[in-house]
Amino acid sequence: MIGSSTTAEARRDAPGLAEAPSRRRLRAGRLLGRSLPYLALLPALVTFLLLLGYPVLLVVEMSLQHIGLKELISGTTTWVGLSNFQSILGDKLFMAATIRTFVFMAANVALTVVLGTLVALLLDRIGRIPRLLLSIAMVLAWAMPALTGSVVFQWLFDSKLGVVNWALSSLGIFGSWLNHSWFDTGFSTFGIITLLIVWQAIPFVAFSLYGGILAISSDLIEAAKVDGANERQVFRHVTLPGIRPLLMMLAFLSIIWDFKVFTQVFTIRQGGPDGQTITLSIFTYFTGLSQGRFGIAAAVSVVMILLLLIVLVPYIRRMLRTLEDG
Amino acid sequence: MRAAGGRRRAGGLRRGVLNAIALLAAFLFAFPVYWMFITAFKPADEIQTYVPVFIPTPTLANFIKAINVPHFGDFARNSVLIAGSTLGLALLIGFLTAATLARARIRGRKGFLLLVAIAQMAPFEALLIPFFLVMRDVGLYNQLPSLVIVYFIFTLPFTIWSLRGFIAGIPVDLEEAAMTDGASRLGAFVRVTLPLLGPGLVATAIFCFITAWNEYFYAFVFMTDVQNYTLPVWLASFRTSLGTDWGATMAASTLFTLPVLIFFLAVQNRMVGGLTTGAVKG
Repeated sequence: MIGSSTTAEARRDAPGLAEAPSRRRLRAGRLLGRSLPYLALLPALVTFLLLLGYPVLLVVEMSLQHIGLKELISGTTTWVGLSNFQSILGDKLFMAATIRTFVFMAANVALTVVLGTLVALLLDRIGRIPRLLLSIAMVLAWAMPALTGSVVFQWLFDSKLGVVNWALSSLGIFGSWLNHSWFDTGFSTFGIITLLIVWQAIPFVAFSLYGGILAISSDLIEAAKVDGANERQVFRHVTLPGIRPLLMMLAFLSIIWDFKVFTQVFTIRQGGPDGQTITLSIFTYFTGLSQGRFGIAAAVSVVMILLLLIVLVPYIRRMLRTLEDG
Repeated sequence: MRAAGGRRRAGGLRRGVLNAIALLAAFLFAFPVYWMFITAFKPADEIQTYVPVFIPTPTLANFIKAINVPHFGDFARNSVLIAGSTLGLALLIGFLTAATLARARIRGRKGFLLLVAIAQMAPFEALLIPFFLVMRDVGLYNQLPSLVIVYFIFTLPFTIWSLRGFIAGIPVDLEEAAMTDGASRLGAFVRVTLPLLGPGLVATAIFCFITAWNEYFYAFVFMTDVQNYTLPVWLASFRTSLGTDWGATMAASTLFTLPVLIFFLAVQNRMVGGLTTGAVKG
């Protein structure tokens, strides 16, 4: 910033100077002025390439080494080629965690996007006061830190004193739920975690899509109605094409977020019961930091990054296209 | 006439149903937050009951218990320090970068933007192991700055995207007008664009603060000494250390969440666009 102010001054003063300015000084100033923007980008560039890039390279390097606690302390490295990858691919627990992560992610993303779209359409069709109330309620859910959400959901679904078991029992539809434990099976535990994640993720999706729907010209919708389109046709042929880029973007973001989620899964049951909710993020933590098998944990991380990259390729393509248009 | 009236009545009914659905949805979204607040203020006997009490006889006993945990002051100070430093660092470098990207004519601008977009997608959950090793090697393991560095890297891409959008939204004509009146390039930016940028800066700053304030995974792994814990680590250990004292746990959750809620309500309008516009509109 200091540098840029001097050039700015030089530029402003130059025409006003009584005697002809030293040509060399002027050229130096111009050169500095031209390179200043690049200098301004330097801190961020260093952050991305060095502070973020180095750990990415390191995790790849570690995945090709045998590193346990002993090697960590002595600082010795043993290159083992791809044997870490061979051992995780032959590990039933790893394969189970991978499948689990995918199914869990798919369920979360599908529910988030579908319900988020429905809520956005709902926001577009209701009165002012219900819309205000729903918006405030969604902001509350959205703002809740993920960690607080996990703690509060454990309280809501507590087997003895939880308000959910009381409410279900009082409704009396499925008999008595008193003392029902929601965290006894992996499936049920995942169900609660999914509920928590979707509850917190819908608001962002719904608000974004509602903004997208509002941006569609109302003339377009009116014209379709005049032409005799019913509401479903208006949605399919006018609204949906209008919000499609946004919808894609939100689906990408949801996939990325839900694929690597750690906090909610870990704090609710630490991967339990019986390791049935261990996803890849938790698997990395356990093998690396609990068991000290850093090489293996790094290999799992590399697999995670590669799987995410597959998802990310269309996203990066899309980014490239929008950057070229802009 | 009759047909039109009937349709209007049917439309009114439909609208009524949709409004009712919206109110039910509002209830479902708000209830967990309401339940956290209300439990935090309940005396023990109103918590230890099968039939829940919906409107409590308020007491502050749970809050007193929550903050009387040893080292609570340390946790709060650590969290504020770390979130504040992250915010400062991200905003400083983010602003410098965003202003350059939005205003300067440079080569490689698009490539740089792509780098920012990719950095924003970096899976930090998969980088725990190398970050752990790096911090250990440079002697920052179990030190507060290690978290500031990680959170800074984590928030910088969004900060750049968001600020670039806000700066680009302010017409450069205004600056040019000021420059015709004799202001320097930088002077015009500082005097014309910067004041208009206030709300965008505040929104971005709050986002950085909340991200650092909420983060649990790295804080849980990196901080081994109790006095170095942040509030999330404290909150997560609450349930296990206090057994099933739900009153104190909910009081702790409320204390931790309240600043986030207040900040969030203040800026949520700006945040909705911020996260997607960068990627959708380019």
